[in-house]
Amino acid sequence: MSAEYSCLVVEDSPMMRQLLVLALSRLRNVRITEADDGVDGLRKLATGRFDIILTDINMPIMDGLKLVKRVRTDPNHKDVPIIIITTESSEEDRRRALQLGANAYITKPIQAPEVIAKVRELLKLAT
Amino acid sequence: MIDKSARAGPPVDQPNASPAHQRDAFLNSFFRRGAELTDELVRENELYRERIAGLEKENTSLRTAVASNSAIHDLLVTIERLESEKQRLLSTVHEHETLSSRFRERFHEAETELESLANLHVATQQLHSSLQVPSVMQNIMDLLGQLVGAESIGVYFATTDGTELIPIASAGVELSSLATIAVNRETVSPSTEAILERTYLTGQIYIRESSVESPPEACVPLSFQKKAAGAIAVYSLLPQKRCLGPVDRALFDLLDAQATAALVAAYAVTTGHGLTPSPESLRKLCS
Repeated sequence: MSAEYSCLVVEDSPMMRQLLVLALSRLRNVRITEADDGVDGLRKLATGRFDIILTDINMPIMDGLKLVKRVRTDPNHKDVPIIIITTESSEEDRRRALQLGANAYITKPIQAPEVIAKVRELLKLAT
Repeated sequence: MIDKSARAGPPVDQPNASPAHQRDAFLNSFFRRGAELTDELVRENELYRERIAGLEKENTSLRTAVASNSAIHDLLVTIERLESEKQRLLSTVHEHETLSSRFRERFHEAETELESLANLHVATQQLHSSLQVPSVMQNIMDLLGQLVGAESIGVYFATTDGTELIPIASAGVELSSLATIAVNRETVSPSTEAILERTYLTGQIYIRESSVESPPEACVPLSFQKKAAGAIAVYSLLPQKRCLGPVDRALFDLLDAQATAALVAAYAVTTGHGLTPSPESLRKLCS
């Protein structure tokens, strides 16, 4: 039986969240949980175990960079790969996110194949 | 080599030589001549042997040459055969490469189509997911901002008499900075307002061509029940969005066809205080 992976998608835009879920559903054996901001994301992380996290940056209540910082101090998830998916495209934003502990940085508008390829790479899934 | 001087006997041609002497002289002469002939024969034999050895050597050399020519000939035939096969294989490889390239193109087309369908599916679902006017407007902005990559947006609605386009919502630009546009059919200047006006009047999507440097990036008409209801201006795109493509045009078509209907439905629910119509009133309308 092949392993099942658990993915947390943290995104305040319902449209964007649905698009990401649709893209990720093309991957086999990946179960997806949604959260609509950083606080909701932390709540989900406290009650579950995830193998990968996708998060936006600009979200109300708690933004994505604060979420990344918090995840990296969580003993259950400090090594979990994190992909930032954002409209912010400056090199400074990218560097900051990677310094805080994100593993990848993808700008919107997204190309589904790019997101899928990155998740596959970080989860070391066969193509 | 026979020593002739040792064999010299009495001369044969002397008349007074006795028969024994003549006999001895004849025998000596005979044997001498025999010896000379033998020497000659031996010499000739040696010469012939040398000649034979030479001829044998030449023969071997010629045989080798012939065998070598034959081998070369065989090699040439093999080379020709291999060349033909190589050409055939190259031709096959080229065919496969062409086929592979077509498959790659087709795969890319299919991926783009899938991307477009996924965007349209999500956009349609989300556009009609709410009956609150602010949520519908936010969904319109999300569609343009997150799916298309628009950085600054202005949404205009036409007045009832169609003489003005009034800005009703914006993103990435202050709403107060957007002016009301008088719908003047004689406007010809290539300004943003003129393009918006033309989009509203013609119902045609405008997408900036690469030869045009000034904004807007795009204008999208808003239709309702086959009539022009307004227009959306995309003033600028996110830095990472180089240009608009077929997927974006499909989303613009969707907005043109459905955004106004979603807003009107939300408005109707809001002004109806969220009340659903009674079965009787619905039945009356359906009959």
